[in-house]
Amino acid sequence: MYSGPVIDCDVHHARNTDAELIQYLSKGWREYVTDRGPAGNVPLTVQDGFPNPHGFMRADTYPKNGGEPGSDYATMLEQLLAASDLRRAVLTFGDDSHVAGHHNPYFAAELARAMNDWSVERWLSQDPRLCSSIMVGSQLPDVAAAEVRRHAQTPRMVQVMLVDNPFNRGFGHPVFHPIYAAAEETGRPVAIHGGAGGWANPPSTGGGSVSTYLETHVLWPQAIQTHLVSFIAHGVFEKYPRLRLVLIEAGSAWLPSLLWRFDTEYKGLRREVPWLKKLPSEYFAEHVWVTTQPLEIAPRKENVVELLRSMGLEDRLVYSSDYPHWDADEIEYLSTRLPAEWHDRIFLRNACNLYGWNAEEIAVPKVRAVTK
Amino acid sequence: MTVDVGPVGDFEDRRFRIVQAGALEVGVLRWSDRFFAVHNRCPHQKGPVCLGVVSGRLGGSAPGSMEVDEETPVLSCPWHGWEFDLTRGRALWDESYAVKTVPVRVEQGRVLLEVGRGQSAG
Repeated sequence: MYSGPVIDCDVHHARNTDAELIQYLSKGWREYVTDRGPAGNVPLTVQDGFPNPHGFMRADTYPKNGGEPGSDYATMLEQLLAASDLRRAVLTFGDDSHVAGHHNPYFAAELARAMNDWSVERWLSQDPRLCSSIMVGSQLPDVAAAEVRRHAQTPRMVQVMLVDNPFNRGFGHPVFHPIYAAAEETGRPVAIHGGAGGWANPPSTGGGSVSTYLETHVLWPQAIQTHLVSFIAHGVFEKYPRLRLVLIEAGSAWLPSLLWRFDTEYKGLRREVPWLKKLPSEYFAEHVWVTTQPLEIAPRKENVVELLRSMGLEDRLVYSSDYPHWDADEIEYLSTRLPAEWHDRIFLRNACNLYGWNAEEIAVPKVRAVTK
Repeated sequence: MTVDVGPVGDFEDRRFRIVQAGALEVGVLRWSDRFFAVHNRCPHQKGPVCLGVVSGRLGGSAPGSMEVDEETPVLSCPWHGWEFDLTRGRALWDESYAVKTVPVRVEQGRVLLEVGRGQSAG
């Protein structure tokens, strides 16, 4: 089992009440949201339409003193931050992450701004190991870009995160490019988290909508595949050559199949995208990282390892727990599924390359108190 | 071996003409006042590559731009669309992949191919 330093690239932090977020809204938007009498507040969070039959959270992650999983720092400290040699955790929000699924673009932009301030003040202030995603209301790309730049001087706001898709266009479409210009300019990777499902989001599955949470969860990679192919085909990495992309919670063993197909199709259809200068798999190898959870489970673990190795993913995979969600992957478990010689890279060094951190500084041994 | 494949006037601009040159089936292309000749067999799946589309090389200096280099004719195989730069025979996406080129010249208004050793039916 791996027991060295760890960077966790997908930790969902949550709020308990609307009031936590409302206090960060402007006065006008506070007025809009509240004061509706018995109707209560305007909903701040779009809902996923697929209920998980046994709940979305690990039952043991509900804080003892009440509240939502991921909402209590003390519980997170005990269960996650202190449970391993964890050196950094990248926070990725809970249901609020579907902010780009709101129909109202102006409200979404304001909510995203408030969420980011909430994350800085309520979370980053509690523990220097915590880092946060910058959420954006991508319905208004120029406003989203301004929100990214607003955090340029806050180093622990480490990435720009997209989840829901307000335009029904792959994320490589030029309508999103102002966000990527800001990400590149401020040195932040763009993260795409699987599971888009908010109100204004198109179906996240190809070929038609599905009926159960089982189906939608199995098919989460489809939307991520759309975005990855879109990023490369639209030449996002030619236009923004320093941009890094991380794909979160969509698995990884499908990547060789997709990229082999993409390379083959590119050879015949290059005329359509002559701005590309490399094979799609080469853009992937230079610009894209992928989180581990949920790692595909094959009857023989060697089958998955061989697939990952075929696309050089031992250098692109970054560990993610997905705490406190029901399908979180434990370090101990993951380290039994992947070759020992990959552990140092997947649990530590690849994430340092992604976020521009110095692995030697992050991995410096902890100083222990000396008792006589 | 030199093979005379006809007068220049028989070759329509920007159209391949398939000729037999010894054991080789060769596509000969007139591109304005230049001539190109390649073995009519794609290195991918042995398709009749010279039946494909010919155009100037398309490029893009930025995403969304579509520019053409008229100095560089490009042949797209009708099977799968793989593209080859006819000035060197090389695939556009991999220099190590190529259609077999055949030396071609014009003398006294005739189009001549040079086939022989190293120019087998392959």
